[in-house]
Amino acid sequence: MSQPVTTNPLIIMCINMTVVFVVLVSLSFLIKLIHAIDPTKQPEVKSDDSEHEEDAAKETAAIISKLQEEKSAPVVEEGISPEIIAVITAAIASCGVSGQVRAVHVVNNSNSTWRQNSPNKILSKK
Amino acid sequence: MEFFDAFAVSLQSVWNDSGFSAFTPGNGIMIIVGLLLLYMAFVKEFEPLLLGPIAFGCILANFPNTGFFGEEMNIMQAIRFGINYEIFPPLIFLGIGAMTDFGPLLARPSTLLLGAAAQIGVFVALAGAMIVGFDIKEAAAIGIIGGADGPTSIYLAIKLAPHLLGAIAVAAYTYMSLVPMIQPPIMKALTSQKEREVVMQELRTVTKFERVVFPIVVTIFISLLLPPIAALLGMLMLGNLFRESGVTDRLSDTAQNSLCNIVTIFLATGTGMMMNADDFLKADTLLIICLGLVAFMGGTAGGVIFGKIMCRMSNWTVNPLIGSAGVSAVPMAARVSQIVGMKSKPGNYLLMHAMGPNVAGVIGTAVAAGTMLAMLK
Repeated sequence: MSQPVTTNPLIIMCINMTVVFVVLVSLSFLIKLIHAIDPTKQPEVKSDDSEHEEDAAKETAAIISKLQEEKSAPVVEEGISPEIIAVITAAIASCGVSGQVRAVHVVNNSNSTWRQNSPNKILSKK
Repeated sequence: MEFFDAFAVSLQSVWNDSGFSAFTPGNGIMIIVGLLLLYMAFVKEFEPLLLGPIAFGCILANFPNTGFFGEEMNIMQAIRFGINYEIFPPLIFLGIGAMTDFGPLLARPSTLLLGAAAQIGVFVALAGAMIVGFDIKEAAAIGIIGGADGPTSIYLAIKLAPHLLGAIAVAAYTYMSLVPMIQPPIMKALTSQKEREVVMQELRTVTKFERVVFPIVVTIFISLLLPPIAALLGMLMLGNLFRESGVTDRLSDTAQNSLCNIVTIFLATGTGMMMNADDFLKADTLLIICLGLVAFMGGTAGGVIFGKIMCRMSNWTVNPLIGSAGVSAVPMAARVSQIVGMKSKPGNYLLMHAMGPNVAGVIGTAVAAGTMLAMLK
């Protein structure tokens, strides 16, 4: 190994920190250059506050008018809680069925399969 | 009578070959140190993946008559070979590259400055080491501990001060595993509550083009500028290219999992194997460990102070806590920024922002090592 160029710690410190900063600043310029020449980047949308506000107002108006166009809330028989309505609506939506729930009624049909099977399930769990 | 003589001779022979006959108090002390490190790794869970094998290597290194340090080739010799001939550090860098997302750095290139500022610890320790009597090459090798980058510390120590390799490697890896203990008090001491609560804006989306081109450009630029660290940075960027190219998933998977884990076992166990009582229990070792701590604390402080400057200059859009991640313990240092930030303001997620300076720190430490090699070799 040859002799070091200097043994003064202060000089070594200054030179090294300068080199580290210069190299990393150069890298940051390279990153910006890569970004600038990137052919795949999405064109930046010029954002203007007033434009944003206008867009937001238009969107809000569209949503309100759409809601007004929609038909009224479903007819719900007394004694059915809103939670049950929410669960039924979510279940229908999860099946991919589009449309609106018009009415919810309790059907007192003792022959229904669901009504017959539910006690069996409870018994089998016990 | 003949039977008893033969029995006594055999017993004597077994005793002479056993470790007990050559066991020294120094070995005992180092085994206790190893057990303490094992306790910290497995019970306290301070970076168990690193500290565990280091601690076990330390215990193994202090059994006399094992032949680990002789001329005969065995597994421990092979591991030492991998360290002494600079094979393991670049392979670890390959794995780190494959694991690291350069996205936060590409999205906010200004964080490179934090990675540069954190290198101040390296040079503070270098000056300190020279003051206490180490020569310039030894001081440079000791100073690089402040970069909190184990592979780079080993790489530089082998080139500039091979006789100090054991103490430097142990100090570097021990401090890396103690990042969650060392950094938070410094970060809190240097920042105000208002600074710690700064919420940073979401990072922009980085395209695949940028992610693929960056490692190639960096490799060309830095390898031409600082050839001594081409092996380290080249492997780091190759690993990252495997990750980002999208067509080398198998290579990326191997680099970041199987290969990196295998090399970590070898490197960490080999580092522990350097903690042999004869080589380790010296005044110099204690000095190196103290200087390493100074370097580490200096690096953390440098990053946080530069973070404060960036915070003011950017009109309070940069949280200074991410500056501490400029030391390159990936990703522990970024995690510490996140934890301290969350404690100051729950819901303030700094992890991705801290990954920028964290990755910049890896590059910065390698550049600092390359510069010192160029100046001092």
